[in-house]
Amino acid sequence: MARATVEQQQQPATGAALIVMVGLSIAFLLFMAFLNVVKSGNLLNEANLLYAALIFYAGAGALYLGFGVTGTESYIKFASLATWAGLIANTAAMAHRWYEAGHPPFASIYEMLLSFVWTLAALTLIAEKRYGVKVIGTVTMPVAIVGVILMQLLPSEVRPLVPALQSTWLHVHVSLAMLAYAACALSFALAMMFLIQDRMKTETFLAATTLFTVAIYAGILTRFERWGGLSVVAWDAQNKQEVFLSRGVRLFVTIPDLGWLMLLVFAAVAAPLALYILAGFKKNEGLIAIANRAVFISILLQTLALVFFILRARDGSYPSLDADGLYATSLAASPFMLSALVGGIFANLLYLLLLWRRADLERLLPDADQLDRITYKTICIAFPLLTLMIAAGAFWANRAWGSYWNWDPKETWAAITWLVYAGYLHMRITRGWRGRRAAYFAILGFAVVMFTFFGVTYLLPGLHAYA
Amino acid sequence: MAPSLRSAVRKTWQTLSSIKTGVVLIILVVIFSAAGTVILQRPITEPDDMQRAYSPAMLRFLDATGLTDVFHAPWFVALMILVSLCIIAASVERFPNSWRYFARPYKSPDAGFRRVLPIQAHIAIRDDEQGLSAAERALRHLGFRSERIVRTDSFSLFSERHRISEMAVYIVHASLLLIFLGGIVDALYGWRGFLMLNPGTASNQIEMRNGGTRTLPFSIRCDATGEETYSDGTPRKYWSKLAVVENGREVSRKEIVVNDPLVYQGARFYQASYGRTGKLDELIVNAARADGKGAPQQIALKMNEVVPLDAETTVQVTEFIPDYVVEDGHVYARSNDVTNPAVHLVVTSAKTKQAINYWLPEIPGIAENQSSPYTFDPKDLKTGQFTGLQVSHEPGQWAVWAGVVLMAIGLTFVFYVVHMRFWIVPVPDARGGSALWVGGSANRNRDAFEHTFKKLVEQIQKELKPASVAADEKAAASIAR
Repeated sequence: MARATVEQQQQPATGAALIVMVGLSIAFLLFMAFLNVVKSGNLLNEANLLYAALIFYAGAGALYLGFGVTGTESYIKFASLATWAGLIANTAAMAHRWYEAGHPPFASIYEMLLSFVWTLAALTLIAEKRYGVKVIGTVTMPVAIVGVILMQLLPSEVRPLVPALQSTWLHVHVSLAMLAYAACALSFALAMMFLIQDRMKTETFLAATTLFTVAIYAGILTRFERWGGLSVVAWDAQNKQEVFLSRGVRLFVTIPDLGWLMLLVFAAVAAPLALYILAGFKKNEGLIAIANRAVFISILLQTLALVFFILRARDGSYPSLDADGLYATSLAASPFMLSALVGGIFANLLYLLLLWRRADLERLLPDADQLDRITYKTICIAFPLLTLMIAAGAFWANRAWGSYWNWDPKETWAAITWLVYAGYLHMRITRGWRGRRAAYFAILGFAVVMFTFFGVTYLLPGLHAYA
Repeated sequence: MAPSLRSAVRKTWQTLSSIKTGVVLIILVVIFSAAGTVILQRPITEPDDMQRAYSPAMLRFLDATGLTDVFHAPWFVALMILVSLCIIAASVERFPNSWRYFARPYKSPDAGFRRVLPIQAHIAIRDDEQGLSAAERALRHLGFRSERIVRTDSFSLFSERHRISEMAVYIVHASLLLIFLGGIVDALYGWRGFLMLNPGTASNQIEMRNGGTRTLPFSIRCDATGEETYSDGTPRKYWSKLAVVENGREVSRKEIVVNDPLVYQGARFYQASYGRTGKLDELIVNAARADGKGAPQQIALKMNEVVPLDAETTVQVTEFIPDYVVEDGHVYARSNDVTNPAVHLVVTSAKTKQAINYWLPEIPGIAENQSSPYTFDPKDLKTGQFTGLQVSHEPGQWAVWAGVVLMAIGLTFVFYVVHMRFWIVPVPDARGGSALWVGGSANRNRDAFEHTFKKLVEQIQKELKPASVAADEKAAASIAR
C-alpha cells in the first residue's frame, strides 16, 4: 500500500507514465522473486504464489488509485488485467493449499483470509464488469493488499483439523459466511458511493472518517499501560502461537513508550473531529478548512505510529505485568491492531481522495438512483446467504455439540446481523425507505457484520475459538 | 363494558400488527441479545469468575434482573412470545388482502385504474382486433401466456407470471414461527445432560445440566474408547464404541466420533470428551531374579492381582499413583494426570514369609528394593480411559429444520421471483381513432420490469408494423412513469 501511495503522488498528468511505472515495478519484483525461486529450486509453492498475487494486487491498487485521482480511463483496463493476474495467482495458492491440507481452506484465520481476499478480488471484477462500478477497486484492492500482507505474518503451516472441525457442514457454513460477508462489504461500499452521489456534504464524510479513526485509536488505547507502555500479546515463535497464562487467558507484554505515541496520535486524529464540532457551533466555515489540514497532519502521524508499531512489535522481548522475565512478541501476535492502524490511514486517504477529487468521482460513479438500487440488490443477495449460513452453522452445531442453538456470542451476533438486515428489508419493502435512510441502514448492517467477524472473536468469549 | 373491551382488543391488535411495533421489538431483541453476549452468563461462567468480575451489589442487581442468564430469563421469553404474536398479527392482518389479490386476480382494468397506473403506454392501432392479436403475438414472443377477457362492455388482454410471489412473505413468516415453535418445544420437553462411562461399563443415569439425574428406560454400554493423534500430537479423532442395552438385551451398536452421534429413541449421544482416569489398567514389567539366575520373564500386572513369579514367590500391585510426590516419608498424589507415575509392588515369598515393598521408581526411605528376590523393569503402562458423552433430547428440532427449509424456499420467492402483470385494452384515442392501452405492474424489482415493459411495447409495435401505414410507424408511444 505504501508503494501505491508513493506512486500516486508522483503521478504526473500523462496517463502512460503510471502504467509504465507500475508495469516496470511488477516486472522488476517478479524478476527478483524469480531469481530467489531459481536459487531455492522450488517454483510453485504457496508463498511464491501469494507473493505474485501481492505484487499484482499492489499494481492493480496503484492503477485503481491513479484512476480514482486522475480519472484516466485507460488505467482501468490495465488495473483489471493486474487484478485478473492477481486472482489467478491467488486461485493457484488456494488450490495448492487445498491440495496440501486435504480440506478446503477455511480452517484457520490464515486460510480464511486467503479465501476472503480471493472473494474480494472476484467480486471487484464482477462489480466492475457487470455493474460498471469502476472505482470499486480503489477501495477493495488496498483491503486485499492488507489481507495478503497479514497472511505473511500469520502462522501458515498446514494444521491438522481438530475433530470438531471435521465436517462437510463446516465448509458449507464458512463458505456461505464468506460470501455473505463479502456481499455485505460490497453493499457498504455502494452505500458510501450513494452518499457521495446523493450530494452529502464533504464535511459529513470528514466527521464520519475522523469518528472512525478516533474509535480505532480509542480501541488501541484500551491497551495503554502504566508508564506509557502499550500491551500486546506475547508470541511463542517456536510453536508459532500466542502465549497463554492459563486456558483462554493470553499473556500480554508491554512495549515501553509506544503508549505515549498512540496517545499523541489519538490527539491528532481527534483534532479534526473537534474542529468539525466547533465549526458546527460557531457556524464558521474557515474551521473546516483547518480541520482538513489537520486530517493531513493526522495521516502523517498515523503513518509514524504504524512505522513505530511495526518496528517495535515486529520482534523483541519485553517485560510483562503478569509474569516475571522478558517475553518475545511478533507482529503475528497483533494482526488486528495492525489492520486497525492500516485501516485508519486508509480511511483518511479515501477522505482526502473525496476532498480533492469530488467532481471527478461524481462524474465516474453511476448515478444515485442506480447505486441505491444496486445496494438493495446486494442486500437481497446477502440476506438469504446469511440465513443459510446461520442454518448450516446450527446444523453443524447440532451434529458436533448436540444442540442447534447455544446462545454463544458469535451465534447471537450472527442473529443480530440477520435481524438488522431483516429490519432494513422491512423498512424498504413495506415503508418504501429509499436513499439516505436505506444507505445509513446498510452502513449500520456492515458495522454489525464487522463486529460479528472481528469484535466477537477478540472481545467476547465463546465456542467459536477457531475463527 | 363489551364495546370498550372490544375496542381495547382492537387497539391491541392494531398495535401488534403494525410495522412500527415490529421494528421496536426487533430493536429490543437486538439490545438484550447484545447485552447477553457482553455480560457474563450464568451456567457457562463459574460462580467464582462471576464474583471476580462484578462487585457484590452489581452481581445482586444483575441476578435479580435476570441479566446473568438473559436468554432464559422470563422477560426474554416473553419478548420472544411478543415477537411471535407480532408476526402472527401482522400476517393475519395483511393476509386477507393478499389472498384476495392472489385468488381473484384483477384482470379487466377500469378507466380509473388505467389513469393512475404508473407504468403504461399508448400505441396507435387501426382496429381493436388487429391491435389485440399483435399484442398477443408480442407477449408470446417474450414468453408470456395471455388470455382474452371478455366483459359485457369491454374486451381486453391479460397476462401474468409468478402470482405465487405475492404469498412468499407469508411463507417466510410461517417458517420463522415454525422455528420458534421448535425452540419452544425443546425448551419445554427437551433436556440435556452428560454421561461418563469407562470401557466395559454401562449406565442409564444421565447427569442433567441443571443438576439432578435422569434415568433412561435403556442403558448405554461403552465397549471401547480411544483417541488418535496426528504426528505432531494434536488430536485427530475421538471415538467410542457404544451399545444400547434394553431389558438386558443389546438392541443397537455404533461407533461414534465427534461429528457423528448415536441416536436411540430420540436421545442423542455425542462424543464430547475423552480422557484418562488416572487408574491403573495394566502394567507390563520384566522380572529378573536378583541373583541373576534364569532368564527374565515378562509379566502383565493388574491392580491387586496376585501373579506368581516362581513356585514360592508372588508379586502384586497394591498402589498406583499417577503423579507422585514424596513428603515427610509418605507418597502423595499431586493430580490425576499420568505425568509422573509411581507403582507400589509387594513381593511375597512363601518360604521366608516376607512381604517386601518394591517401588517403581525406587523411592529412598520407603522402598526395600535391595532386599527383593526379583528386580522389575517397567516396560509399558496402560491407564484407564473414560469417554464423556453429551446427551440431548430435542423433540422440536424437526420443526426447526422444516422451518429452515421453508424459509429458504420463501426467501427465494421473496427476492428472486417477481409477480408481473400486463393488461392490454383497446381504447378510443383523443382524435377519434383507436389506440392500445398497455399497462404493466410488478411487485418488486421495478427497474428490471420497466425494461421488460419497454421491450413488450417495442415488440407490439414491431408486430403491428407490416400491416400499418408508414404514418403509424412514428405514432406516439409514450411511456409515462
